[in-house]
Amino acid sequence: MERARISARQLFMLAILFEHGSAMVIPLGVDAKQDVWLAILCGMVFGGGLLFVYYRLFTYYPNLPFTSYSQRIVGSFFGKVLALIYVLYFLYISARVLRDFGELLLTFAYPETPLFILNAVMMLTVMYAVYKGIEVIARASQLFFFSLYWILMLGFVLIIIAGEIDVRRLQPILEEGWSHIFHVVFTQTLYVPFGELVVFTMIFPYLQREEKVWKAGFLALLLSGINLAMIMGMNVAVLGADIVSRSTFPLLNTIQEIRVANFLERLDVLFMIALIVGGFFKVGVFFYAGVIGVADLFALKEYQRLVYPLGISVLFLSLAIASNFAEHIKEGLRIVTIYMHVPLQMIIPIFLLLIAMVKHQKKERKGR
Amino acid sequence: MKIKRYPFLIFTLFICTLLFGCWSKKELRDLALIIAVGIDKKDGKYISTFQVVNPGNVAGATQRGGGSTGLPVALYTSTGDTLVEASRKASKQISRIPYYAHTNLVVVGEELAKEGIQQIFDVVERNPQFRPTANIVIARRQTAKQLLSVLTPVDKIPANQMIKTLELTEMMWGENVGTRLREVIESFSLAGKEVIMSSFHVDGNRKHSDDQENVRTMEPTARLRASELAIFKRGKLVGWIGKEEARGVLWILDKIKQTAVTVDWKGEKEALSYKVVRAKTKVTAQLRNGKPIIFVTVETEGDIGETFVAIDFTDPKQIVALEKVMQQEIKAEIEKAVHVAQKKKSDIFGFGEVVHRTYPKEWKKMKKTWDDKYFPKLDIQVKVESFIRRTGLRTRSYIQ
Amino acid sequence: MWLRLRNQNKQQAYQYDKVAQEGIYGTIERDLHANIEKVRNITGNSADIVIRHFLLGKEDNLLSALCFVSGMVDENMVQQLFIEASVQLSFPSMCCDQLDYIEKKIATANTTRRVKQWNDVFSLLMSGESILFIHGMQEAISIAVKGGEYRAITEPSTQLSIRGPREGFTESLATNVAMVRRRIQHPHVWVEAITVGEVTHTNVRIMYIKGIADDSIVEEVRNRLQRICMDGVLESGYIEQLIEDETFTTFPTIYHTERPDSVAANLLEGRVAIFVEGTPFVLIAPAVFIQFFQAVEDYYARFDIATALRFLRILVFFISLVAPSLYIAATTFHQEMIPTSLVIAIAAQRESVPFPAFVEAVIMEVTFEILREAGVRLPRTVGQAVSIVGALVIGQAAVEAGFVSSVMVIVVSITAIASFATPSFAIAVSARLIRFLLMVLAALFGFYGILIGLIWMTIHLCSLRSFGVPYMTPLAPLIPTNLRDTFVRFPLWALTDRPHGIAEETNIVRQGDEQRPKPNQEMRREGDEN
Repeated sequence: MERARISARQLFMLAILFEHGSAMVIPLGVDAKQDVWLAILCGMVFGGGLLFVYYRLFTYYPNLPFTSYSQRIVGSFFGKVLALIYVLYFLYISARVLRDFGELLLTFAYPETPLFILNAVMMLTVMYAVYKGIEVIARASQLFFFSLYWILMLGFVLIIIAGEIDVRRLQPILEEGWSHIFHVVFTQTLYVPFGELVVFTMIFPYLQREEKVWKAGFLALLLSGINLAMIMGMNVAVLGADIVSRSTFPLLNTIQEIRVANFLERLDVLFMIALIVGGFFKVGVFFYAGVIGVADLFALKEYQRLVYPLGISVLFLSLAIASNFAEHIKEGLRIVTIYMHVPLQMIIPIFLLLIAMVKHQKKERKGR
Repeated sequence: MKIKRYPFLIFTLFICTLLFGCWSKKELRDLALIIAVGIDKKDGKYISTFQVVNPGNVAGATQRGGGSTGLPVALYTSTGDTLVEASRKASKQISRIPYYAHTNLVVVGEELAKEGIQQIFDVVERNPQFRPTANIVIARRQTAKQLLSVLTPVDKIPANQMIKTLELTEMMWGENVGTRLREVIESFSLAGKEVIMSSFHVDGNRKHSDDQENVRTMEPTARLRASELAIFKRGKLVGWIGKEEARGVLWILDKIKQTAVTVDWKGEKEALSYKVVRAKTKVTAQLRNGKPIIFVTVETEGDIGETFVAIDFTDPKQIVALEKVMQQEIKAEIEKAVHVAQKKKSDIFGFGEVVHRTYPKEWKKMKKTWDDKYFPKLDIQVKVESFIRRTGLRTRSYIQ
Repeated sequence: MWLRLRNQNKQQAYQYDKVAQEGIYGTIERDLHANIEKVRNITGNSADIVIRHFLLGKEDNLLSALCFVSGMVDENMVQQLFIEASVQLSFPSMCCDQLDYIEKKIATANTTRRVKQWNDVFSLLMSGESILFIHGMQEAISIAVKGGEYRAITEPSTQLSIRGPREGFTESLATNVAMVRRRIQHPHVWVEAITVGEVTHTNVRIMYIKGIADDSIVEEVRNRLQRICMDGVLESGYIEQLIEDETFTTFPTIYHTERPDSVAANLLEGRVAIFVEGTPFVLIAPAVFIQFFQAVEDYYARFDIATALRFLRILVFFISLVAPSLYIAATTFHQEMIPTSLVIAIAAQRESVPFPAFVEAVIMEVTFEILREAGVRLPRTVGQAVSIVGALVIGQAAVEAGFVSSVMVIVVSITAIASFATPSFAIAVSARLIRFLLMVLAALFGFYGILIGLIWMTIHLCSLRSFGVPYMTPLAPLIPTNLRDTFVRFPLWALTDRPHGIAEETNIVRQGDEQRPKPNQEMRREGDEN
């Protein structure tokens, strides 16, 4: 861990940007068709449960990152193995998000540019930020939080003015019933983006006032859940469920529909800003957690030394994980969800929490 | 000291990426801005026609470097088994990269439309250059190429002329409607909605339509003119609908913004014009005995535009009576439109979708046979409410 | 890496004591002639060192010599001093300590001081005091008759205002300090003196308001100033570069101003001012990013217009930053994002331009920078000629020759005007540098490049600190109370707190309750009656 302090407000904004990150631009939970907003909101509710688990773990060890307290909970050896798994997971996901980001950018704006170059430029930026430390990332998140919100608001207002929203496209509600929605929730929306908050177990200990963690985290979850639901709902209301479910980036198509006063049109740049800023924070937070995790695990004092080698590894990993976009997406939906998200976001934290609770109860009894 | 080296290495790497640079770069000079695409089909091969802007010759742009006598657009034609092939082959004639991001108009020839247009939209959707906001029209009684090879006098770029005409007539008169690519694609996926598109045809003598002569005369010999609406069914053109019926369609689709309705008054034929300034349509569905009934409610507001008979507009009773007549007129238009559509078995009004939204479960059973079984016999209740708000600058006419 | 390079090249340690103080050890001798000889030796018999022998006192019994540097003393006062010393001064018979008597008796100068060490003698002599050597005494008397010609107080040339005081700082340290002192007449305005520069011995003053300024920041400023150890400090820019937090940045982390009212306002906000002898530019620390977009006039004008102008300035900063790169990105990468009619108009103009958009933009921007640089250094009369040539070359001829498109000319002019409208020159310069970087990025990656560039810039800005204060305060970290005076300026009565994070936190409120004007309702005149 580096010596740094961030405020609850910064945590809140960082978490929001992180949640919006790629979730805003990808077709999130579109298997639920026109009920996608409902699937996201449900995902948020269950995500709140997961966040509570992470928060409880944090309250037992308020000064330690996940990689340290896992060793306290299940013993040094198993804890280290667990920490290693998590660190690799964080780095792998940051590579995945980087790949996502590069693919999206490539398809829609830079078809002739090699993926490596786009990813490298992004990764360099992320590395620079991580090199500067969590305080700088947190501060930057405050600046970008407002710019992103302004842009979202602007886009929203413009779409309403352009008269493209047809609420009837959101009907009929619950056509396939609740079971279908829950199926989507537990295979997709719960893990991305809400369960991914597990990465913040590495960041919570930087908080100046630990009692505010829950409030900041929960509000961030709530707000981003509502926002994402609104964004996806808006996509459906503008484009129709079918186009949204077939689109690579529904938000782009929605923004392309904007046409106000024969002048405010072709505002793809709004989408690009959202994509790049969001992608930056998502990759950044995962990568930071990975770097700090490694530094913590091997007790390195200067984590900065790791930024360079790990950054290059993540960059090459992002290119190597799949040979084409379809494979990449398939991996994301099947393998990563079942073998990574489910155990690492849900099962292991819950087990750790249970063990920690038992341990602490014993301690308390002894104390008496 | 070691840490100090990282920024330097990052910097080096950064410079390396810079050195490779400039992949997706395209200079404006190297682009052929395709403003309209025409698609026909002949002998199983697609014929694409590209209307390319010649920026130096568009009025309004500074006329530097000579060549001001040239035409604002140029036309290229190319054939291929697929549209991508045709587009790539066009490079044999065009010196610049075809660029579709400013393609605001897609014209489909009538022959191709009858054969089916479903195939041609995949490329449009897949290619990030194409904008989903582009308009699509059908070339009536002509090929797309013939329609695109007409020079226009006021708006120098013919594609713009067509788009603007369409927008204007949709707003002022309401017998034509602009259809965006996205709406067409959306209709393919919906079982309970078919698409309509406006058509254009060339009026007058087509012989010198692509000659500068055409725009040198006060009344061009060849003119572009919006004509009937094309009715589609599962991607195939099945019929045309025009005049009042066409307006009836737009009433139901809630696309009427302004229009003028002419009615008879006390035995006088076509005696009075009602200018509609606001209109709102609601379509709802109900299920009675397992059979869907559609309710169409139209509300209009407007002024008196013109009268040929003596009416005292200061009398509220007269106004109410007039409103009744208006309502009947509009209702008749709508019913005619419904009749035509039912005959073609094409649910251009999206009634099926209304049923889908209100009765999702029942819809699943109806979905398959909606077009053939339910829609042609659908019971449609039309209710119109018209209001005359003002009568213009005079109360009574000088006509006695 | 830099350090290592420097260490390799460094073969010699800094020998300031050898360079500057060789042979000035020891104390004054009894023999006047020996003393004078020493002065002559050490100063190399410089032409501007005046040594005047005379007999001290009415009784003419003491042989003395007065040394001073001509031009650095007040000639009138020296004249007075001679009259006093040689004509009026008389010794009472039973005086015990003659030197003490003389020191107290000389009334012309503000201060007199007895000096014994040669070291002190020379530093006082060089700072403009007169040294009185008396034969037979082992001490000399230093008499403060500092003076000489300075530039008069004039209107500041860089930070003009429509409303507000017209006086600007001059090169005189004492005048500058007094100008601020006159504005804040409170004993807690503390001024500390530090001498910087081993050869130049430049006088530096640290000014702050005790109790409002944060002590740790004052301490930090003091420490950093004391660290400076080099030959010369000729302008406050030297000091700025030696005490700023980060060298490798284009953004200024210390504010400088020519206006005494600006310094006073900043002191009242808890900042520290650093005055340097010989320059009208006063440094103010700590500085935050947003400060460079605020002008003193914002507080003199009413809040509504001040707010509008602040928004304008920030907008202008962004325009001057990204306008050319946006043009490059839009015309070479993202033609789809320009409305159709506009793209046709631009395409028509670019048709005959032989260069790619990037080259075109670089040519125009560089030409403009050359013109500006030429204009700044030229005498005013020739400056006009430059502007005429510039207008013709950049504007008309280039377009007519088909070298550049007229859209590009518009873009360049907007950028130029925008960079002039930025209130602080320091920040406008940094925008100028970043602009070229963004242009390169835009030429490589279009909007992606611009956005990445801006993200880099933001991270960099967030990582900067000025004397411990994060540079992006109060935006990041967000301090809501400070936002009242950041992008917007609330009415004065609503600005209840001094800036958090800069001023002393235990004493943050700066005005009484209920400062909002409450016109007396009884005072209303009924105009309708007439």
